[in-house]
Amino acid sequence: MTTVQPFWRRSILLRAAAQVIGIALVVGLGFVLLTAHLAERITQESVAQRLRELMTTVENTAQIACFTKDQSLALEVVNGLVKNSEVFGAAVVGGSDMLAERRRGGATPERSRLAQAGRISKPIASPFDSSQIVGEVVIDPDPEIIRLRVRESGGFVALVLGLQLLVVVAAVVAVVLLWIVRPIKRMSDKLHVMDARSIEPLAMPQGHENTEIGRLVADINQLGQRLVASRDEEHHLHLQREIGERKYRAIFENADSGIFVVDQHMVLESCNHAFYRQLGLLRLAERREEISLLGLPWRMPDLLAGLLDRCAVLNRSVSDDFEYVVDEKEVRWFSVTLTPVGDQLIQGQLTDISRHKLAELSAQQEAITDSLTGLLNRNGFLQRIDEEIMACANDAASGFALLMVDLDGFRRVNESMGLASGDQILSITANRLRSCLKGSDLISRLGNDAFGIILRSTPGERAAANVAMRISVALKGFFEVGSTPLQLGASIGITLFPSDGADQETLLRNAEMALDHARVGGSGRYTFFDFTMARNAEHRRKLENDLRFAVRRNELMIHFQPIIDLSLRRMTGAEALVRWKHPEQGLISPDVFIPLAEDTGAIINIGLWIVETVCQQLAAWKRQGNDYYISINISARQIPDGLPPITLIETVNRYGVDPANLAIEITESVFMGNSEAAQTWLDAVHELGFRIYLDDFGTGYSSLSYIKRFPVDVLKVDKSFVRDMSEDNSDRALVGAIINMASSLGLTVVAEGVESAHQLELLEKAGCRCVQGYYFSRPVPADEIEAASRHAEQLL
Amino acid sequence: MMRRMLPRLFVLLAVLMPVLAHAESIVVVANPAAGVDTLSRNDVINIFLGSFRQLPSGIAALPIDLPPGHPARAEFYRLLVGKNQAEINTYWARLIFSGKTRPPIQAERVEDALSMVQGSVGAITYLERSKVSGKLKIVFELAQ
Repeated sequence: MTTVQPFWRRSILLRAAAQVIGIALVVGLGFVLLTAHLAERITQESVAQRLRELMTTVENTAQIACFTKDQSLALEVVNGLVKNSEVFGAAVVGGSDMLAERRRGGATPERSRLAQAGRISKPIASPFDSSQIVGEVVIDPDPEIIRLRVRESGGFVALVLGLQLLVVVAAVVAVVLLWIVRPIKRMSDKLHVMDARSIEPLAMPQGHENTEIGRLVADINQLGQRLVASRDEEHHLHLQREIGERKYRAIFENADSGIFVVDQHMVLESCNHAFYRQLGLLRLAERREEISLLGLPWRMPDLLAGLLDRCAVLNRSVSDDFEYVVDEKEVRWFSVTLTPVGDQLIQGQLTDISRHKLAELSAQQEAITDSLTGLLNRNGFLQRIDEEIMACANDAASGFALLMVDLDGFRRVNESMGLASGDQILSITANRLRSCLKGSDLISRLGNDAFGIILRSTPGERAAANVAMRISVALKGFFEVGSTPLQLGASIGITLFPSDGADQETLLRNAEMALDHARVGGSGRYTFFDFTMARNAEHRRKLENDLRFAVRRNELMIHFQPIIDLSLRRMTGAEALVRWKHPEQGLISPDVFIPLAEDTGAIINIGLWIVETVCQQLAAWKRQGNDYYISINISARQIPDGLPPITLIETVNRYGVDPANLAIEITESVFMGNSEAAQTWLDAVHELGFRIYLDDFGTGYSSLSYIKRFPVDVLKVDKSFVRDMSEDNSDRALVGAIINMASSLGLTVVAEGVESAHQLELLEKAGCRCVQGYYFSRPVPADEIEAASRHAEQLL
Repeated sequence: MMRRMLPRLFVLLAVLMPVLAHAESIVVVANPAAGVDTLSRNDVINIFLGSFRQLPSGIAALPIDLPPGHPARAEFYRLLVGKNQAEINTYWARLIFSGKTRPPIQAERVEDALSMVQGSVGAITYLERSKVSGKLKIVFELAQ
């Protein structure tokens, strides 16, 4: 690119000098010419000036000569003027006349012409009137003389200027060379041969410490230092990067997780050792052949392809778990995390999560297994029901039967013999159930002593009944727990899919309803679900709901059934019987709604209301002068907290009623539950003066120990005995025995359900003190009690 | 006493005369036969200072100066060209040298000047206006 140039063009020194001199010459020449021209002008001007002054000296004389047109005087003036060396010719003109004229001799025509060209004239005024011009003085300067003068002065000026210029140029050139060009040349020479690897600082030119050149040298030196420093730094960084890259390579290669990069065709671009190891591809690692990620033996490559697509489309990190088939014996699970890294590449990470997956599966298994029996637990059972329903929906099966098995009296065993025995019984039960079923059927422990069974292979009603029977028989067998063999029995509810219900919830409810029916029917029974059960249950649920509001809506009322004292031959009291007048269904029997009220707890409020109402009635009778007593039925649910003794006595006192006029009727079931609390309650109530009636005597345990232990005042013989007395001698004897026993214990006996004169006669003969029943009166409202009483007395 | 006082009174008048005359205007008079009614200032200057001595009627003009020292002479030149007598003398000195023209004839007395004007057709002179007699024609007046 660089062409060799002549030496003088390469040297800044010579070039600068030549240029300075050249410019100086041109400018100097211009100046000299200009100055010469100016000098000529000035000289001409000064000659003209001098000549004008000369004219002024002769003006007075010229005035007179012109005024008088005196030629001789004018000639005298002209002669005087021509004597001046600068004057070539002169003339005086007076008006229109040439008064006098003279010229130097020896003039060439050229000289005359030049002289005339430079002519100077001065008008001459009258000596007496300056405004009146009377003539003119004319002078022609001598051009030769003027030229001479101009040459003299112009030449001198040019000479001086030229010399000055020469000196200045020489000085400038010297200064520029020495002061500027030489230091720069030195720097340039030194920089020219300088090696970038060993930059030495340039020497500071003398006297330039504070000049621009000095700064330039300093800047170049600084730049050199920085160059060296940045080169060192770069070298250092380069080393570091090399080390860093090696380090990351090592991390990549030694990572436990498989790391890989795939392109948009799912072909592996690179991967680490762990990737080969985890996927069992170590034999491929050496060969370095192209591997397609989706070509590997994933269980479901489509899912992985989907994940890759999602990663590319969403352009963010995604992850999922995939099953990988290593060989026939081994399957591994990998968590695959994909991250887009740009350039249509996807970076992935592979983590072996097989152990976690196994743990997860076993945890799932555990979650649906009952730990005691190893059967499915409730959750698992519910899942399986759903699966079965799905299978039927997919036509994989036609239907199934759902059985619910409940051990009878298990709670008592648990309470009396301890949980360990209970657990033992449950385990045995599970085994017996297994033995009754086929392998395809499912058994589950739903709760405490409830088991659920799905009969998959035998969906029909008849087959289900057979299985239920087998189970029933199997569970009737003795349980060898501890030293004593126990007999429990089981109730079974059965429902069928799809005829009884379409979903899990319905089926379970159906089975439970059927089970309840079976349980009510007595131990060891099985019952199929039918839709009346559902309807009844629905009805019951509605009644329960209505019952909750019955007291508040004033739908309850009390009827009284007279109790006749046979020794006094008149009515002495009455049993209070609650009636519910349902707004839609009319009168509802206490047999129906009292158990409901007991189940739901509504009995508590109803009980309080009864006490209140009965006391009100007693107070009313007392005001009328009737000393009747009233017995009220108290259920086991109300004892001890539903009807505290303090509430009873407070209510009675509030109405001013004698506690002896209020009798509390209880059944033996009161003694069966929390007998301690019941005893305390009964003692307290009895202590307060209330009498205790034991209702339905003879139907339950009828244990004499109860009668001894609890403060019972009156036994009420159940109507079933009274009803059968007329035909059955043994019943007659039983009633007689009860009456005898009671009187020997000091208890009064009331016979219920007296419906005929014959029964009355028999009871009287047996020594029964009190009776009640339809023979005398059905239960009646309070305002009919007087009439009923009178009617009863007539019958005696 | 009166007799002794009179000469002194005349002397005083004589002294005062120029002063009194000074206030008076100077007129240029010519012979009535000269055929000139009036002259311009330039005509008067040309005639008295030797530039062009001819009357407008074509008759050669003969200017006559009053005797030197006469107050009207100084007054005349002062009013005509604004120069004093010394300057007028210098002027004429240069011209006399060339010989081409001459200064006006100088009268010995005022009466001589007047008689010369009366006696010569081209003659022309000047005097105070109060001294003009009926035999002279005023052709120009130099007012104060």
